[in-house]
Amino acid sequence: MECQHGQKKEKARSSETPETLRASQEYEALLVREYRGLKDKLMDIVYSKKRDNEALGIQRLSYAFRLTTSLLNRSPDYYTIWNVRRTILQEGFLEGADAEKADQIYSHELMFVQENLKLNPKSYFMWNHRLHGWDYRRYIIRQMDLQVPKVSSEKILERVQSEFDYTTTKISQNFSDYSAWHNRSTLLGKLAVNMTEEERQTTVDSEFDLVKNAIYTDPEDQSAWLYHLWLIGRESRNISILGSTAISFHPLEIVVAFDEIVKFLNPPTVSTMVNHLPVPLAGEWKATGTDSTIGTIWIFQQAPGAEYGPTVELVVFEDDVCSFRLGARLHSAVCFELETVEKDLSKISGRLGRLVVVKNLMCDVTKRIGHGPDPDGTLDTQEENRRKHSTQAKLLDDECIKLQEKLITIDTLRQERYEDRRTQLVFERETLHLIKDGKRFPEVEFEEDLPRSLDLSMRGLTHIPTSAYLMHLHTLNLDSNAITSTRFIRNLLNVRHVNLANNMIKRLEGLQHAPSLEILTLENNLIAKWEDVVAGFVFWSEGKLARTGGYAKVLLGNNPVVENEGGEYVLEKRWEDVGEIGLEIQWKPEELRLAEEALVAAEGVAGTSESHIEAVRRVSTTVVEFDAGH
Amino acid sequence: MLPLVNGSSSTLDPLAPELLMDLHVKYIQALDTKKNDLEYWLTEHLRVNGIYWGITALQILGHPEALDQEQIVEYLVKCQHENGGFGGHIDHDTHILSTLSAVQVLITYDRLDAINVDKVVDYVVSLQNEDGSFSGDSWGETDTRFIFCAINCLSLLKRLDDKRLDLPKTIDYIVRCRNFDGGFGSSPGGESHAAQVYVCVGTLTILNALHHIDADQLGWWLSERQLKNGGLNGRPEKLEDVCYSWWVLSSLSMMRRVHWIDAPKLTLFILEAQDTETGGIADRPGNLPDVFHTNFGIAGLSLLGYPGLVAVDPVYCMPRHVIQRIGLDKH
Repeated sequence: MECQHGQKKEKARSSETPETLRASQEYEALLVREYRGLKDKLMDIVYSKKRDNEALGIQRLSYAFRLTTSLLNRSPDYYTIWNVRRTILQEGFLEGADAEKADQIYSHELMFVQENLKLNPKSYFMWNHRLHGWDYRRYIIRQMDLQVPKVSSEKILERVQSEFDYTTTKISQNFSDYSAWHNRSTLLGKLAVNMTEEERQTTVDSEFDLVKNAIYTDPEDQSAWLYHLWLIGRESRNISILGSTAISFHPLEIVVAFDEIVKFLNPPTVSTMVNHLPVPLAGEWKATGTDSTIGTIWIFQQAPGAEYGPTVELVVFEDDVCSFRLGARLHSAVCFELETVEKDLSKISGRLGRLVVVKNLMCDVTKRIGHGPDPDGTLDTQEENRRKHSTQAKLLDDECIKLQEKLITIDTLRQERYEDRRTQLVFERETLHLIKDGKRFPEVEFEEDLPRSLDLSMRGLTHIPTSAYLMHLHTLNLDSNAITSTRFIRNLLNVRHVNLANNMIKRLEGLQHAPSLEILTLENNLIAKWEDVVAGFVFWSEGKLARTGGYAKVLLGNNPVVENEGGEYVLEKRWEDVGEIGLEIQWKPEELRLAEEALVAAEGVAGTSESHIEAVRRVSTTVVEFDAGH
Repeated sequence: MLPLVNGSSSTLDPLAPELLMDLHVKYIQALDTKKNDLEYWLTEHLRVNGIYWGITALQILGHPEALDQEQIVEYLVKCQHENGGFGGHIDHDTHILSTLSAVQVLITYDRLDAINVDKVVDYVVSLQNEDGSFSGDSWGETDTRFIFCAINCLSLLKRLDDKRLDLPKTIDYIVRCRNFDGGFGSSPGGESHAAQVYVCVGTLTILNALHHIDADQLGWWLSERQLKNGGLNGRPEKLEDVCYSWWVLSSLSMMRRVHWIDAPKLTLFILEAQDTETGGIADRPGNLPDVFHTNFGIAGLSLLGYPGLVAVDPVYCMPRHVIQRIGLDKH
């Protein structure tokens, strides 16, 4: 077994005679015997030393040392022999040696390693041995240096500068020297620490000049482009909270929506007011989705027992939350005051109420935790700035979208990456009206009356970047896009109808957690097996397969699984026995379904599905149960 | 619930090369019979790793029975030392690389009962350094690969809660290895390389700390590894190599961006690196095959959804059903 790299396969030598074949086989057998002989001799010495636990005489030691040389010349990756060799040096020859002798030994070792490396440049363990040699040598030198005064910080800076200048030389010789650019990136930061603001500006300008030069000289090379990207820096956009509301009572359930996937480092506190003072409520935070530790929508479920008042307070501090974007943070702490009085039971029970930001007490909270208020001009000026930025931003967005579309045609290998990026830009543009430019400013405000439906059909979307924006919707139209996954639906706590016809969905996911879903249109997708439909309604719970209850209508016409029959399939998940999942599918042909719809539209009569069922199909899938084990 | 076996696909070009599954099974079976080849003896130190590569490939090909399980378990037991660690072969010094491979094989076979698990944990924990990194062995060399081996191993043994570990420090160390291009090196300041990216992303995934990665940026750097011939390289301006089909793809998979690579082109590249005479896969078309590239080529194809292959877990590079069995499936 080998893991060699770069060994060309020789074509079978048709000129080889049985004699030459036998000769080469015999020669190979000789080499094998010789190698095994060396190994056995060395191992004999190693075992007898272990067994007898006596120090070896200088002759035996030298002999063993020579054996390691012979073996390592044949098998440089035999790491155990390197260990033996090092042990011989340390315990035999370096023990009690003076600095000069030690130096001699190390120089000899380095030469041995160097020669061997020339023959076997890919030997990983050889490089390792070389490293150890240098490490050990540095250690010795360091010991000797302890007598000498410390190296001044000026000297250190000089060294950094000279290494930096070395990268400049290397880069000017060859713009595609990735190692040089990489080293430069680590050194630049060190140099910048001691610079004035002016010096920094000059340095940045000259860096940009250097990079631009590199890009114009060889635009195909990656290093300069990556360095350029690093120089520009990343937009430090903060995490935004879109809103919060109470969604269930006794026990209390509160939902918080973020604009991106976050993780809780500390669980935010939900408190009830007792004599105008907040008293924390016990409970658990879980994100929607199968991994409850990360998500955009988080739900707090109160531990049963405690009473709570007509309002509760939710506070999220900056350090409570972190996202998957480097360095992204909450701009400041946020506090919500939420009403818990059930005003209209028919609207609230079993369904979610409107996503409402009742009061954003950010200013009060910041005062409470000691930061001063943050005046930034009058409200009018702020609004003015916001509008200006918004128009500029919109133009930039459109330009970016066009660029992505161009890239899609030019760089086909990475087409899907550009399509994803384009989707992000398009989605943001199409949902801007929902959050009032919240992306660009830390304070987020919702329109008082949010539109309940959104049409994103035919936009070329490959995925839904921020499903939390859509959380309040009742109807979502995604007809004719390029969406491959239904996972985003788990965050659409309010949605009743989702139209995903004419997309690229192969299997259903995330529907376990869509509590309000009534109709899911999946006509003309790529679903091929009933298993892929069932998958959307089951989940793992403590290592076992579990099911959710509920009722949803899934329209599957024109998917491979229904063999091109049109129609409507009603899925009901009802079986309690574990190990088998069944779906009862009521099927009615397309024409009948359309006729019914027309009837409903014309006369407002809701037809009963039972009276028009053509057939009932029972599809049973046995699912293997896995025991999670502990 | 994701599928455990890739479904059949009718979208493959009928004229394109196929994965020669039966031939690769025979290739792997024949590996231990080459006792007359010098190469067999010169690679003894890789036996335990080789067994892991061989049986994992067989599992993904759907032929776990092709090698004698009992024989292998017996052999591995002989490779465990007093201190709990495993060497690359019988009487070879212990190292974290071979220790991980041994544990992976035993878990795949569900035979952890054959060894002293507590001692393995003791050995791995003993390799952690003050700064959160892990050494490869008692000689002290550090490399982000060894961190991944340690965390991977402890995770498989369900012993990440060991009180002697300082996991926040480990995460800290990994973050210090992050470079200007979003990638990771072998140590702080080390240049980005796809294999180091895999071990760092893998470690962060196991420790639930993926928020330290800019997935869009790193995903970009990784997707740029694909060359015009469809193969992937390890870093800019270097040659393509089949093993990067694993290091790059699994990283992208953990970051949910596998589709940023052109799958049909990469599939074709891997298939063309097969040795149609002896079986096995090489580092690139025209070269000699070996079990290392055979395993990672097949694992890469599984991640790409090649029909008929058993699904592989992108974090552990073991069959997904094994990872599910022990309750570590992140999906």
